[in-house]
Amino acid sequence: MHMGASGAAFAFLLAVLGLVVPLLLLAGRRTATQRLALVLLLAAVSAGCAAGAAGFFGETTPALDFSRATPFRFLLAVDRLSAFFLLLICAVAIPVTLFAVSYFERHQAEPRRRWTWVFFSWFLLSMIVVVTAATGFAFLIGWELMTLVSAGLILIEGDAEERRHNVFIYLLMMHAGAAAVLAAFLLFLPVSHTLDLDAMRAAGMALPAGVRAAIFLTAFAGFGTKAGLIPLHLWLPRAHPIAPSPVSALMSGIMLKTAVYGFVRFAFDLLGGGPWWGGYAVLAVAAVTGVLGILYALAEDDLKRLLAYSSVENIGIIFLGLGAALVFAAHHAATAAALALAAALFHAWNHGFFKSLLFLGAGAIADGAHSVNLNELGGLGRRMPWTAAAMLAGSCAIAGLPLTNGFVSEWLMFRSFLAGSALYATKAQVILPLLVGILGFMGGLAAACFVKAHGTAFLGRPRSAGAEHAEEAPLVMRAGLWLLAAGCLLFGIFPGLVLRPLVALAGALLPGAGVPEETVSIAHILPWVGAAVAAISLAALLLKRRTRPARTWACGLPALSSRMQYTSTVFSKPIRFVFARVYRPDRKVERLPVDTPYFPISILYRSVRTTSFEKSLYRPFVDGVVWMARGLRRMQTGNIQVYLLYIFLALVSLLALLRFQQ
Amino acid sequence: MSLGTAIAQALLLVLGAPLVRGTIALLKARLQRRRGASIWRPYADLFKLFRKEELVPPTSSFIFRAAPAVLFAATVCAAAFIPVLRPSALLAARGDFFLLIYLLALARFFLSLGALDGGSAFGGMGASREALVSSLAEAPLLLGLAAVAILARRADLAGMVAWTLGQNVFDISAVHILAFTALAMVTLAETGRMPVDNPTTHLELTMIHEGMVLEYSGPSLALVEWAAAVKLHLMLALLIALFCPWGMAVGNAGWGIAPAALLYILKLGILMGVVSVIESAVAKLRMYLVPDFLGVASAVSALAVIFTVLVKR
Repeated sequence: MHMGASGAAFAFLLAVLGLVVPLLLLAGRRTATQRLALVLLLAAVSAGCAAGAAGFFGETTPALDFSRATPFRFLLAVDRLSAFFLLLICAVAIPVTLFAVSYFERHQAEPRRRWTWVFFSWFLLSMIVVVTAATGFAFLIGWELMTLVSAGLILIEGDAEERRHNVFIYLLMMHAGAAAVLAAFLLFLPVSHTLDLDAMRAAGMALPAGVRAAIFLTAFAGFGTKAGLIPLHLWLPRAHPIAPSPVSALMSGIMLKTAVYGFVRFAFDLLGGGPWWGGYAVLAVAAVTGVLGILYALAEDDLKRLLAYSSVENIGIIFLGLGAALVFAAHHAATAAALALAAALFHAWNHGFFKSLLFLGAGAIADGAHSVNLNELGGLGRRMPWTAAAMLAGSCAIAGLPLTNGFVSEWLMFRSFLAGSALYATKAQVILPLLVGILGFMGGLAAACFVKAHGTAFLGRPRSAGAEHAEEAPLVMRAGLWLLAAGCLLFGIFPGLVLRPLVALAGALLPGAGVPEETVSIAHILPWVGAAVAAISLAALLLKRRTRPARTWACGLPALSSRMQYTSTVFSKPIRFVFARVYRPDRKVERLPVDTPYFPISILYRSVRTTSFEKSLYRPFVDGVVWMARGLRRMQTGNIQVYLLYIFLALVSLLALLRFQQ
Repeated sequence: MSLGTAIAQALLLVLGAPLVRGTIALLKARLQRRRGASIWRPYADLFKLFRKEELVPPTSSFIFRAAPAVLFAATVCAAAFIPVLRPSALLAARGDFFLLIYLLALARFFLSLGALDGGSAFGGMGASREALVSSLAEAPLLLGLAAVAILARRADLAGMVAWTLGQNVFDISAVHILAFTALAMVTLAETGRMPVDNPTTHLELTMIHEGMVLEYSGPSLALVEWAAAVKLHLMLALLIALFCPWGMAVGNAGWGIAPAALLYILKLGILMGVVSVIESAVAKLRMYLVPDFLGVASAVSALAVIFTVLVKR
């Protein structure tokens, strides 16, 4: 069989990640072997980039067939959509791996580190299997492996009670989501007879409308759980922050994108567009997810939790684009749908870059300043200038500011919402343009959130001894950060590099779509704007000036101390005050002693933000499950005769059922 | 349009900006029965600041110095989007209003970072309040512009202005009135004017923009002040271009420029008069009433977008 260069590269990638690296790591005792394993890992991921890029630009490769080695049909194939995500996974994995080499060396002792790398390698492999699976079995194997391996990577760092509880919630929700995904696959079976994606695609149009709607909803719920759509996001801010930083980067940067891949595969490719109301449903959930996600992020003081909630927001933005694309497709506006779909996929791409960068940066801060609590940081820009500059690029990108990649995808999305006014349906004409306001609101809050994050971590005065004596990250870590930052700027100024093939991909998923004019015009204007801003800033910076360091006036006090600065908590106070209904904080004030209210010795103030979802949505559900389980326990008498009776009854009822069916 | 006019237009916005500030200050002084300083005073201030020594807090990082430069650059770039004398501008044909607004957001992002880098309480206070005001102002700003863009079926400012020019003055629709109301309210908030922010205060209870720039001095302060003036001028010019562009020079003939310039100065004068009357007559809103003010603007702009469905035919 002729495989071609990219096919060979893809096979090399799978073999190295799945077998060679783990074997070398576990069997080899010498440091040289370990080094060789990591070099091979990087080489494999680079080969994956090549294979992904080739597929993304339109080269087709034959499927790899592993069916003989597995009990079910196990095919992996790289079509254009798969190639895009394969390229994203591998492109982000290179800098993350570089960073992790140094990070794991400093944070994990030897036997454990070995296993961390094995899991790391399998984690990458599982995501690659998910996005290239051509059969349902392969997809579900990859999907399940992805959950379990990432849970393992979280537990490797420790297994304290709270951590285990968080991982438990993660696993529980992931399995509920996986059940929904499985259901979405199985619903195809009556018509498609196999779970090969090709057969499912052929069956997609022949399915009855009710089944199509059911598939759409189960896929949306299943993939929405993995993506972290509110209210199914509960696991995300628990699982992402407690993982080691490189793993958080992979989980937020690319694992969430596999859910986006799954939804796009089901809704656009296999079903060819959902029911007519599907787009509106997605838009509603995505808008709530985006706004609440960023509001929660703003209130966080722990940098990694803040980043996790911001991932929820960005998933909201991506699904806003997907929802708009579904609405356009339902109204037969294929070119506008292609614009919205390209915007969503490009935002998924961009989020992969800047969120990985920010999580890695959080790792570098944790490493250098021994804390990720923003209220204990400050002034790191002077101590860690390289990390600070890379993080600044990431913060600008996530706030959607021009000349970074985050802006381009949000801009495309704005334009696609505006294009909604040209549809011939009043509902779409009103709803889509109004989303401009919602996305703008999210953008404003995101900018506020990352001014706070960057400003309190890197600027001003240090707020703790750890921050005061922080150390710059080692060179390899910085290299990882800077590769990602360079990506953020490159795709922000020359977005055409990715946009052109991406539009072709969107066109392939939406029959009849032309090239949206917006994707061309933005690529033309941005280099000019970039050049102008850079030139004028440089000129202003190079102005001849005399500077003198001088202490800031302290209103008559001897000197300013770091306690006089705004902290992260205070910075977000005005916004938390205005949106108090969203946060509903649980405030506790304890004064000691109790009987002298005016002269307390100590006052303890605690404000815990409980997300209302836990109270009003999950608690009743969990209580219900526990209640049912209690009820069922009555059947468990421990008496063997009763169990024999159960077996007998089951047998009789099965026989009766068989009899009736005949 | 020739490149020369386009550049002249952008320069007019940038170089004329201090004059706008000076004029508003003088008009306010006259309304309050004071003599007031000359309208050229802001130029003298800038000239003085550019020659002065700059004091830098010893704890600050590179951001403190870079922020005013990026702020100024992004604001000047944004000014190159606004059609003033003709329905076109340097960047107006390919860049649309989203890019314009986000360039202003870039400027604000860096100004806030610079404020936090000062390491004093006031910088953080200003940045924190600015974060509240700007995040609430973003939606009405974009929706108001989107409403006009929907009617014009164009998102580039040159196209939007050209479309309005082709309309009859008496065909102004409800959408225009609503969008103008929203954008005018947001302009006051975005440029730090009453009733949202007091540009002349240094009282810590009330200042927003002034709090952010408190640590700056010398050339950096000059850049910050100039950028603030350019932003005010460009927002006013944007209102004029979108809602009252009649009189702009259309076609290739060069002689239309002079009356267009005269008319622009007249319209700008009226707007400046309105701003100074508001500033003299209205008290500053309490900080936590600002969300209500911007909430009204948001509702009005959303209505403008919804009404486009009825108006567009």
